[in-house]
Amino acid sequence: MTDASKRGESEVRIKVTVNGTQENRRVPARLLLSDFIRDTVGLTGTHIGCEHGVCGACTIIVDGAAVRSCSLLAVQVDGSTIRTVEDLAGDGELTPMQKAFHENHAMQCGFCTAGFLMTLESVKNEDYSDHDDLLDLLSGNLCRCTGYQDILNAVTSVWETGTGPSS
Amino acid sequence: MKPASFDYYRAKSVDDAVSTLAESPFAKVLAGGQSLVPSMNFRLSTPSLLVDIGQLDELRSVAATPEGVTIGAAATQYAVESSAEAAAVVPGLRAALRWIGHRQIRNRGTVCGSLAHADPAAELPALAVATGATMELRGPNGTRTVAATDFFRGPFWTDLQAGEIITHVRFPAQAPNVTTRVNEIARRSGDFALVGVIASIGSSNGSVDTAVLSGFGLGATPVRLTAAEGVLHGKNTLDEPARMELYEAAYSDAGDPFEDVHASTEYRRESIASLVVRTATAIIDGSSEKGGRS
Ligand SMILES: Cc1cc2nc3c(=O)[nH]c(=O)nc-3n(C[C@H](O)[C@H](O)[C@H](O)COP(=O)(O)OP(=O)(O)OC[C@H]3O[C@@H](n4cnc5c(N)ncnc54)[C@H](O)[C@@H]3O)c2cc1C
Ligand code: FES
Ligand code: FES
Repeated sequence: MTDASKRGESEVRIKVTVNGTQENRRVPARLLLSDFIRDTVGLTGTHIGCEHGVCGACTIIVDGAAVRSCSLLAVQVDGSTIRTVEDLAGDGELTPMQKAFHENHAMQCGFCTAGFLMTLESVKNEDYSDHDDLLDLLSGNLCRCTGYQDILNAVTSVWETGTGPSS
Repeated sequence: MKPASFDYYRAKSVDDAVSTLAESPFAKVLAGGQSLVPSMNFRLSTPSLLVDIGQLDELRSVAATPEGVTIGAAATQYAVESSAEAAAVVPGLRAALRWIGHRQIRNRGTVCGSLAHADPAAELPALAVATGATMELRGPNGTRTVAATDFFRGPFWTDLQAGEIITHVRFPAQAPNVTTRVNEIARRSGDFALVGVIASIGSSNGSVDTAVLSGFGLGATPVRLTAAEGVLHGKNTLDEPARMELYEAAYSDAGDPFEDVHASTEYRRESIASLVVRTATAIIDGSSEKGGRS
């Protein structure tokens, strides 16, 4: 009990729900949540860009809140409910935001798209009617291709004046 | 996998965390992980053991009373930012938090973690100094309380001793006649500030009787801009000559800020002086300018 080496393990068992499916896995303590999602669970829709919290490509939803999956350890989210981009059209039907991205051509290479969609999904019931607040929100996800205008058009086409209706 | 191997331990209580830390010299506390995990991804940090306090319910509280706001070490930045009660008692909290990274970072990063990390360009240490916050620490020798002005020692260096953790931080209530604004210059929205200022200014009978200006991104720790504070005392408006005087004072308060690839010493000095003038004018002359995220 007083031996420090007995406290702490290099492998830890975690139980999480990913897109409605229970995952009960033994993972290395150093496994990043992004690698857990992609390599352990096998969901590669979540992309990895910078791996230090800056670009937002790896954004997923943990217990209702958008997070950078590259800047969390899988063990930190033990017991949580996780949603990734694969869950959005889980029933085969694109969400209004996904449709709007498609219709507005809000992507070119598409590398950033999953991150944008998950950020937007996480706040879809909040008030982003203030244009500056919306720009500030979108600035948390980097896009190297589009120049953001088509993304902004897609978002405002769904959120009208920028206010996110629940969809 | 980017981080080097380490052992992980989820603390069962604060006492459990403290006793575990005491036994392992290369252990580190893990709170939100929003500074620690990226630095482990770069292997700038290679702890042998992580003691996770981020899930401890006893540290999750954000308690607002008329005297102030007390924030536990597991309370996230967004939990504090979204607390209307906290914003009513200490308006500087929400104003400062909104400048930190992005929502996704603040959803996990903690207020106490930012204070413990002590980045010289971070908003919360400067707010702690500006408001006279106190840190409650617990370690192998028990608990103690340290004032923010004594807590920050240098870049990424605080008064925390081996095995000690911040359990809570207490921000005192803002006086009713005071207005606080936070303003900064960063290369991109959400980046760490090149320079920034927390300004708390209050007036009675039309003239300024309280002026606190706490700068960040200037030196090793948050810097009180005392000459500029002096200029503000007794003013009822900031006309052109007063703004010039304020600029000169803030410029000299800035001393010799560090230089890096993004900004020279002179750029930082001029930027902080301009920010101080802009922010103080907005408060004293009641401009409705939104001032970025503030
Ligand atoms: C892309 C990005 C942008 C960011 N932008 C900003 C910004 O603009 N401004 C800003 O201020 N911050 C910024 N941050 C950092 C963010 O605020 C972190 O959340 C914060 O610095 C650390 O809090 P944490 O809870 O994540 O701590 P962790 O990362 O878990 O820990 C950080 C350090 O503090 C120690 N520590 C944590 N909690 C305690 C405690 N209670 N007692 C003792 N030691 C403790 C840890 O051992 C570690 O050394 C940014 C981060 C990222 C990834
Ligand atoms: S890959 Fe996570 S923020 Fe860039
Ligand atoms: S579409 Fe290529 S990065 Fe955004």
